[in-house]
Amino acid sequence: MRFNMNITLRLFATQFIISLLFASGLMADQVTLSGFAQGLFGGKLQQHKLTPSDYSASEFRLQMRLESHAGDADFFSKVDFVYDNVTQPKDQWELREAYLKYTLFKRLDFKVGRQILTWGTGDLIFINDLFAKDYESFFSGRDDEYLKAPQTAIRSELYTRAGTLSLVWTPRFTPNRIPNGERFSYYNPMIGDFVGGPPFFSAPLPAERWENSELAARFQKGLGKVTLELYGYRGFYKNPLGFNPVLMVPYYPKLSAYGGSLRGQLAGGIGWIEGGYYDSREDRSGTNPMIPNSSVLGLAGFERQVATDLTANLQYQAEYMEHYEDYEKTLVGPDKRDNVRSLITSRITRNFRMETIQLSSFVFWSPSDQDVYYRFALVYKYNDAVTLTAGGNIFDGKKKFTDFGAFALNDNLYAKMTYGF
Amino acid sequence: MKKLIQLVSLLSFGTLLLFTAAHAQDATDIMKKSHLAMYYAGNDAQMDVQMKLVDKKGSERIREFTMLRLDIADGGEQKYYTYFRKPADVARISFMVDKTNSGHDQRWIYVPSVDLVKPIAADDKNSSFVGSDFTYEDVSGRHWSEDNHKFVKEDQLNGKAVYVIESVPVKPYKGFAKRVSYVDKTTFMPLKEEYFDDKGELIRVFTADKIDDISGFATVTQRTMESVKKGSKTIVTFVGTKYNGGLKDDIFAERYLKNPPRDYIK
Repeated sequence: MRFNMNITLRLFATQFIISLLFASGLMADQVTLSGFAQGLFGGKLQQHKLTPSDYSASEFRLQMRLESHAGDADFFSKVDFVYDNVTQPKDQWELREAYLKYTLFKRLDFKVGRQILTWGTGDLIFINDLFAKDYESFFSGRDDEYLKAPQTAIRSELYTRAGTLSLVWTPRFTPNRIPNGERFSYYNPMIGDFVGGPPFFSAPLPAERWENSELAARFQKGLGKVTLELYGYRGFYKNPLGFNPVLMVPYYPKLSAYGGSLRGQLAGGIGWIEGGYYDSREDRSGTNPMIPNSSVLGLAGFERQVATDLTANLQYQAEYMEHYEDYEKTLVGPDKRDNVRSLITSRITRNFRMETIQLSSFVFWSPSDQDVYYRFALVYKYNDAVTLTAGGNIFDGKKKFTDFGAFALNDNLYAKMTYGF
Repeated sequence: MKKLIQLVSLLSFGTLLLFTAAHAQDATDIMKKSHLAMYYAGNDAQMDVQMKLVDKKGSERIREFTMLRLDIADGGEQKYYTYFRKPADVARISFMVDKTNSGHDQRWIYVPSVDLVKPIAADDKNSSFVGSDFTYEDVSGRHWSEDNHKFVKEDQLNGKAVYVIESVPVKPYKGFAKRVSYVDKTTFMPLKEEYFDDKGELIRVFTADKIDDISGFATVTQRTMESVKKGSKTIVTFVGTKYNGGLKDDIFAERYLKNPPRDYIK
């Protein structure tokens, strides 16, 4: 009975959203309806049986986009309907984007609603971009846009001669989506080994209080061919890196972050540097082993077109843990991190046959953690509507507790077919 | 007598030199006029563009976008804004170029699905524009000062009087080793361009298929670029071209890259 009601409710909600989209569309000057249908199938290379399914993906997705604008206001929405064999419930839908944009006093732009947010300079690595990511999608071969999870937020951008000031307020803390043992296994430090579910990992969100909302700010200024950006964030670690010893549950510790970046033309390509300070507000002294220590992060990258149809980039990132001696002293268990975590990444993209075929490779390698994550894809644009993709995600690590080592049992290959309209 | 002969030969040699120099000057002047007429018509321009990419098997792909152009200086800096509509996988992406001539152009792209603004590392003007037979350079034109021009002859092309000009890059360029242009004597539109590689083989042919008068500016509203060796071609159609619509400099900024200016991009 309860099951039936859920379906009825879901159907009703779906219907409601669709009619709302159409109703709003009808009132505008211009309405554009577009989207895609996509099948994604992927299998894991290790037969570890930790997770309920041997598949990394087995899903069919219908994305509907509706865009309309009238006068100064823009409305955009994007809804995904998914039938997913790997995770429960099998039939799912998500409002990925639904926002209004309008301009006040000519200089102030508002974007209100469910939206994807991005800033910072790194290519697939983030210091000051503390908006929600979806690593489960990222590891499973879904399109790149799914690395970003939506937040329901208000973004305001004030344009002045001195520069641009952006403020993003997210009333309800929105964490990263990370492997939880259902689609992908992960390393559990309490057990000291890889685990899958059920039960699936989850961490309670901070209570829905004013003080628990997220605030992100950026100031941006163009200096000739270089762009300077300053960032600030007040909220929580986006991954549940803390552990509550009383309730025996992981949780999201409080975090403030400050940083800056420069990006611009350099030696026939684009160069960027970014730095940041993570202020772990619940453990500033670094003496609580259940909460991450504050840290200093920096990255530098360079990208250029190496030859016609061939682009490559290289990035280096380092994270320096503060109060390392206190961390060492109070550490419980054997999983000891290094004082400095370094990471090297490289992306290579090669286009063939008038950009109808694209081969891309992205490697993350940490010399300090001795782990690696390699992703690659071959994309064939059969025609303007149909795209065929084959790719893979490979993880490896000397230790199980490191960022990529934790997913070492999740190597997968996938195939994807997309019909865009 | 001897002196007279010397003087006459000197004079005639001088005249010959002058004549050659004058023709070279004419050739450069013609190419300059042609470049300005083709790529700098009006102070600004806006148009809807359709590109039809036809491969050697005859299968077609369509690219549709709106393009805005603002000239900062004639023959000098220009700003381009491109908003893609088709195909579905690039729809809503916007693209901006600050073309400087003096050095490296600056290019930015905005990918709305990830809310990402990114400068593009694309120093190569000879790379294909959206997979078509046109290069980035073809879209905004190759500056006349980058080539040495030689006047070949006056001729007729499809019933129109043309100047035939041969151009060779000043610095070695992988796009072409020699280009022959057929420039309309009255409108200065390039009616045809043939691109040759360093072996003297024909690689690409540009043709202006349809020229309309729009607000007093001769405008190539349909053009084709054929890649002779690849066997592919791209046919470009301009619709609703409007000159001097009063585009403002401030729309060529990150703000409008993220929020397409609705006055121009419906």
